[in-house]
Amino acid sequence: MKPVLLEGLLVAILGILLALAANALSPQGLSLQRNYFPAPAAATNAVTPGAGSLPLAGTSTTNSVRDRLLAKGLLFATAADAKAAFDDPAYQQGLIIFIDARADEPYATAHIPGAWQLNYYHPEKHLAGVLPACMSAQKIIIYCTGGDCEDSEFTALLLKNGGVPAERLFVFGGGVTEWAAQPWPLESGGRNSGLIKSRP
Amino acid sequence: MTENHHSPSGRTWDWLMVLCRWFLGAHFIWMGLVKAWDPVGFLKLLRQYELTQQPLLLNSIAGALPWFEVFCGVLLVLGVAVRGTALLCLGMLVPFTVIVLKRAMELSATHHLPFCLVKFDCGCGAGEVFICRKLLENSVQILVSSLLLSGLGRSISWRYQIFGSKEITR
Repeated sequence: MKPVLLEGLLVAILGILLALAANALSPQGLSLQRNYFPAPAAATNAVTPGAGSLPLAGTSTTNSVRDRLLAKGLLFATAADAKAAFDDPAYQQGLIIFIDARADEPYATAHIPGAWQLNYYHPEKHLAGVLPACMSAQKIIIYCTGGDCEDSEFTALLLKNGGVPAERLFVFGGGVTEWAAQPWPLESGGRNSGLIKSRP
Repeated sequence: MTENHHSPSGRTWDWLMVLCRWFLGAHFIWMGLVKAWDPVGFLKLLRQYELTQQPLLLNSIAGALPWFEVFCGVLLVLGVAVRGTALLCLGMLVPFTVIVLKRAMELSATHHLPFCLVKFDCGCGAGEVFICRKLLENSVQILVSSLLLSGLGRSISWRYQIFGSKEITR
């Protein structure tokens, strides 16, 4: 049995080394050191309710999400808030911006027109372009798929830790799913590609 | 102590186990590649099991385990270090099956569902599956790995064992 154990050990060592190398070389690979799921911020970092928070929908689910965001020092935006921001002339001036926290493929399939992409798990690809836009914006609405998706919250925390004032950061909890459920425009391809899907 | 498989029934068994070895290897390669293609999705699923709060450990499992599975699968298909690799497969399959079983029991209790109607994405690489089917699949894989570890499935091997002679060493 001893040779089998030795063989298993050798295969394990070689396999782990190769697996770590493959992860490091893969474009989809994970950073081993990074904490992808940050714990909720301490209460001292929380944003005071009403200090710029948008009107809320009345459901208990929405309120629980809002409370969770407030505990993290973030603000909540409903679909109506997101649409109002989209229609605001300030959006065209870059004073309001949308950030899509999803990966390349879902972003390219459909995103809110003009939204910047900031893939939370690979921010290095987009942060250099997004951060200056965030610094000059007065309102930043971040979304992901919606539902159980927490990537928009994590992205908001990433931006907050990067120096973006928390009172400008709004998480659109319903995400692109809730947006797409309405007859509101969607863009495919890259940002400002002009490939707008207007729906009845 | 050595053992050979020169009797007709022994050869039949061995050939059957070679087919099982190829199937198990191909299964590991496929499931590993599915997860390696989307390590973020695998990371999110692993997080649900609350295995560890250590980011380094969680990220290492999510980032490296799929490639490790692929590596083991390739070794099984080629017939390299078969028994050592089968031992490692057991080392992955048994704890993971226990974890999945535990999670399914929690879901069954929480949602008041009959056990076999519990369906969820266990992070196995096949998306959402019914738990009883998953447990059956894992049991078959554990059985095949155990038989390979015992020394069956030796034919058409590139280098069946790394240490020792051509005869199976126990």
